[in-house]
Amino acid sequence: MLKKKICMVGQFGVGKTSLVRRFVDSLFDERYLTTVGVKIDRKDVTVGSESVTLMLWDLAGEDDLAQLNVSHLRGASGYILVVDGCRAASLAKAVELQQRIAGQLGPLPFVLVLNKADLRDHWEVQDTAVSQHGWPTFETSAKAGNGVEEMFLALAGKLIE
Amino acid sequence: MNLLAALGYAVFERAPDRSFQLLGTAPDWLPDRPIEHAFPFLEIFLPDAEEFWTNPGNRKTLYSDLWTQNELHFCAIAVAGEQKFLLIECAEQRFRQTQGFAQYAHEASLAREQIAKLTEAKSEFLARMSHEIRTPMNALLGMAELLSETPLNDEQREYVRVFRRAGDNLLNVINDILDFSKVEAGQIDLEKGEFNLARVIEEAIEIAGVRARARGLEIRSRIQPGVPARLVGDPGRLRQILLNLLGNATKFTDRGELAVLVEMSSPEVLHFAVSDTGIGIAVDRLATIFDSFSQAEASTTRKYGGTGLGLAISKRFVELMGGRIWAESTPGLGSTMHFTARFSAAGAPKPEAEGNAPVILRNRGSRILLADDSEENRFLIRGYLKDSGCIIDEVENGAQAVEQFKQGAYDVVLMDAEMPVLDGYSATREIRALGATPIFLLTAHALREARARGFEAGCTDYLTKPIKKATLLEAINKFVPAGDRIQVSVEAWLKPVVGGYLEKRRGDVRKLRAALDRGDYATIRTLGHQMSGTGGGYGFEPITEIGNVLEEAAQAGDAAQMRASIEDLDRYLNSVQVE
Repeated sequence: MLKKKICMVGQFGVGKTSLVRRFVDSLFDERYLTTVGVKIDRKDVTVGSESVTLMLWDLAGEDDLAQLNVSHLRGASGYILVVDGCRAASLAKAVELQQRIAGQLGPLPFVLVLNKADLRDHWEVQDTAVSQHGWPTFETSAKAGNGVEEMFLALAGKLIE
Repeated sequence: MNLLAALGYAVFERAPDRSFQLLGTAPDWLPDRPIEHAFPFLEIFLPDAEEFWTNPGNRKTLYSDLWTQNELHFCAIAVAGEQKFLLIECAEQRFRQTQGFAQYAHEASLAREQIAKLTEAKSEFLARMSHEIRTPMNALLGMAELLSETPLNDEQREYVRVFRRAGDNLLNVINDILDFSKVEAGQIDLEKGEFNLARVIEEAIEIAGVRARARGLEIRSRIQPGVPARLVGDPGRLRQILLNLLGNATKFTDRGELAVLVEMSSPEVLHFAVSDTGIGIAVDRLATIFDSFSQAEASTTRKYGGTGLGLAISKRFVELMGGRIWAESTPGLGSTMHFTARFSAAGAPKPEAEGNAPVILRNRGSRILLADDSEENRFLIRGYLKDSGCIIDEVENGAQAVEQFKQGAYDVVLMDAEMPVLDGYSATREIRALGATPIFLLTAHALREARARGFEAGCTDYLTKPIKKATLLEAINKFVPAGDRIQVSVEAWLKPVVGGYLEKRRGDVRKLRAALDRGDYATIRTLGHQMSGTGGGYGFEPITEIGNVLEEAAQAGDAAQMRASIEDLDRYLNSVQVE
């Protein structure tokens, strides 16, 4: 069966692990638990008539102390840039990470995800700040489940084109 | 090798064909599959490990990052030497330690971000509230000030006096609420001036007494012998503490009386006690009522209203005055709020300044550009300047202000900070680029940031709303050079008679002064009426205006206004020059 490695990247605390948990186990946990290193999960999906095993590499969020290890993206078919809609700084971080990844690994398919849509009223991230990049963008709520599966499947679809 | 398995390691020897051979016992967590398949993470570690085995340099080991799969946490270690080994460690303990540290750092960082956001939100809220409250207050207080300048009988004059004083006090309260963030941040500075203690207490009782009397309560006060009559300290904050305590006492007392007692506690320390015969406070709540947003009972807010901030602010002020505040109470019988404060005794009183001499604009005939989107505010400023002989052009936004400024030669610009289309800050910046005309920013924002923004944009000074007439005139006097000569063009055919007309008015000044001295208001009224009817005809509009004011003031018996107008007339006559 076709196997595709997808990496989750973004600032710490934006909900990368929760998005994977929602997608793989249909669960959400209110507690915040920092990811250390890499957390690897797999999920078999069907895109069109194609069955694909998605290997989901959830990479520890970047913070002031630890930088993203771009070598962890080696062999990835695509990646997901995750932003917390409530923290404008997390969009700036996502833009910076995209540049670093593209600089080291060349062009790779990716999507931008604005997470925490359940807190839409408290979002700091402006639509124009997002749209100016022209990237494929999804709004998700790992907590409520909105948009999560659609986002993963959309990227998976792009990877098997 | 059993030992290593027990410690959580699976040990593999890397064969020359790049396959891995398990040595010793397999730990129970090790899947029964080739390790490259069992641990997907190795696909990024093994290329690094191969490079390391080929060229290890001085190093014996190469550690991978930690990874998690199926709820277990692992680390891979490549060991170089005669033989090449790969260890897979089930690194639960190391994972927990690393995670604990990272989690702490992330939570602290998120909390910092949250606090920064809340602080920003609070500043924004304060600025907005400041604007929303001060704008209507500006109109209210300004109208009261203008009303007090119109002919009034004694009863009306008293009402206006109370109106203005209550408004001023309300504004002080608003200012103090806005200052609460500063109180929290310890940024309140006390003033240090001489004051009369009895007068401060009287003023507090006068203001609090309005509500107390409405509830059928009396307020009495007693200053014990030995308390100096004049003290050095911050009378405004002392009055605010007393007002707050008296306000609470009134709120929680249905019948009986309130009392203020002052006595010496120790040299330079005064003890104040504000007591009531109200509902009292439960013993277990006595200590917490001074906390922010705290009232003795949760139901209190519903029944009695209030923010619960007053006592917290009072407590902070008392502490700044080197004292402490506490409460005693017997539920059902009443409460006494005590506080001590440190004041030094002042020397002999200085002779008080003579009355409240009205400020007079020295720069009569200035051209003023007024930009404000609020009709009420423009009306107010116009009212303040109505007797000044100034020419005022009004516009409603910053863009119009910039355009209008280019059209005329202005001596001063009064610029509201918040306006539609183009705000006052941007308009100031554009006008500043055109010249050095004094620009006063009219801002409802008491916050330092708004002032800083104004100065950054190039304003000469700022005036915080509600603007008082005296403040406005003083500001203009300070920054707009007084023209020694007021040039007035008169039509050619009038020139032969203008000199005589002005000379006659100079004679009027002497007559007016004499009439005022002997209380002959009828003469003043007549002279005022004559001036109002003739000044404009010769081209001297200010004479007409002053005449109008004199006539009205004489009718109302307002001696202070008559005196001010006579001086205005004298000054005008000394400055005017006919072209």
